Amino acid sequence: MRPPMTLGKEKLIPILAMVVLLIGTFSAIFVNATLVDKNTITINGNEYSIEQIFSITESKEIETDEGKKSGISLEDLMIQSGISCLTCYKYTFKAKDGYQQTVDFDTLKSGILTKYNRVYFPNTAHALWVRDVIEIEVK
Amino acid sequence: MNRKKMIMGIILFGSLWGFSEVIIGSIVADAGLPSGGLMTGFFALPILVLTRMIYKQPGMALGLGLVAGSLRLFNPFVGCHICSAIAIMAEGALFEMIFYGISTDFKELKSITMKSSIGIFSAYIIFVGGYIVTQVLTPIVAGSGFYLENLIVFMPKILAAGILPALIASFTIPIIISVKKFDISIKDKIYYPTSAGISLLCWIIVILSWILFTA
Repeated sequence: MRPPMTLGKEKLIPILAMVVLLIGTFSAIFVNATLVDKNTITINGNEYSIEQIFSITESKEIETDEGKKSGISLEDLMIQSGISCLTCYKYTFKAKDGYQQTVDFDTLKSGILTKYNRVYFPNTAHALWVRDVIEIEVK
Repeated sequence: MNRKKMIMGIILFGSLWGFSEVIIGSIVADAGLPSGGLMTGFFALPILVLTRMIYKQPGMALGLGLVAGSLRLFNPFVGCHICSAIAIMAEGALFEMIFYGISTDFKELKSITMKSSIGIFSAYIIFVGGYIVTQVLTPIVAGSGFYLENLIVFMPKILAAGILPALIASFTIPIIISVKKFDISIKDKIYYPTSAGISLLCWIIVILSWILFTA
């Protein structure tokens, strides 16, 4: 009669280590393969270059805990991009690497978008300051 | 193990962990390096393993996480202090879960493969777990609310980021476990004042940096 199959720590721990390394490696491959490389920003379904965005709205300066930052008002940008009811929606900022954060209008109205495609919201967690923004989804 | 000695150990190593996260972690981040992964692989996990080897008391990582997390609350360099603090506490709790079935003297981790494997697995789980906790808590605390889809689309990046601490821990943890003789043979007369002094110094430096950078 065959003994029952048991997976001792001697086998289990190296297997678990291999599994997490494989998960990490495949995730890294996936991240690199799906990295979006574009120079425009999609706002509510329309493509804009950063130069276009800065030409249709005026720059302003805000104070953050990392010092003064200058860029265009996100509230103005949404108005210019044709959104009539600003308080009716949530705004999701999507980065090149898949990172994204969603804010409501109360947060959005204090924020700016810089020439380096980064958003800043004063007095909020830095996690909301999305870098390399490629899309602003309005929903 | 004397209970008083254990509590002092929690304060000492928790303070060292918190200090490394706040001061060294910020310097590493400012240099543009992946501070989270480097800190987990070089500091957080080695400190947790070392504490378990010295004191041989399961459950201590929870206390270390609490002390280190509390120290992180004074960190002037990150926007969401409470989130980082909770993430550190979560890392302590994850360490306890992973090492639950492993003896405090690591006697079952004889071969280099076993030592390396436990380093890889624990560093990966602790880092990824802490990262997820931060991603969930930060938007909640920031008041913008948590959106599951934001976490799901970012999961591949989080899972990929776990590779760095795992690879670092594949050699840091075997080195620490291989140094078998960790006995607190120093006299109480020296142990308590030294531990209290080092802990106090960690807290003073962190609080001073907080005052200097927020003034």
